Amino acid sequence: MVVKRSVSLGDDVAAAVEVASREDGVSFSAWLSSAAERQLRVRQGLRGVAAFEAEAGSLTEEEIAAGEALLARLLSGASGMVSRVRRR
Amino acid sequence: MAVTRAGLVYGVGALRAAARGDRMVWAVHRAALAHGIVPVVPVSVIAEGFRTEARGDRIQDLLDGSEIEVMGADRARRVGELAVKASTTDLVAASVAETAARRNCAVVASRQNALGTAAGLLGHKLVLHAV
Repeated sequence: MVVKRSVSLGDDVAAAVEVASREDGVSFSAWLSSAAERQLRVRQGLRGVAAFEAEAGSLTEEEIAAGEALLARLLSGASGMVSRVRRR
Repeated sequence: MAVTRAGLVYGVGALRAAARGDRMVWAVHRAALAHGIVPVVPVSVIAEGFRTEARGDRIQDLLDGSEIEVMGADRARRVGELAVKASTTDLVAASVAETAARRNCAVVASRQNALGTAAGLLGHKLVLHAV
């Protein structure tokens, strides 16, 4: 089911979405919907991380930095190191 | 950061590691989300993850921040044919490799020969964080 909503966008954002939706071959509405869905997934995912941390202890600054570094390595095309970290 | 991969695909090893409290898996998951990257999990991985791990709550927490990729008949056929060529019965690994190649993603999974073989058959260099 689709619900119609009237939303307001800044000129520059609307123009950028227009271009992006054309490039991706979808409608303006479909592009916005997909972006909102992704943002909701990120939000829900971070809640999942928080749930893990509530039980197992917060990720330390070092662990967060290590996660960032691993992500950067993987996205750059370099295989990550084998995980040797504490488990709780 | 020079980016050559568009995102992450999780294999069963990633789900198992998350369930068992592997903090690096949670840290990289957090990092991906913080950068607006939603990791992808083929649906076959979920079935195997819940079959083999007791901590379904932690798996679900990981999946809440993941895109579940469903598999239609065409893709299922491609995965099956890929498994034959890779000489493996591990359809889950084949589906992870197929997803990673098609979506140009790096993989977080346990180290498996089938993954690398299947990815290679698709002309995709496997970028793997082995858990």
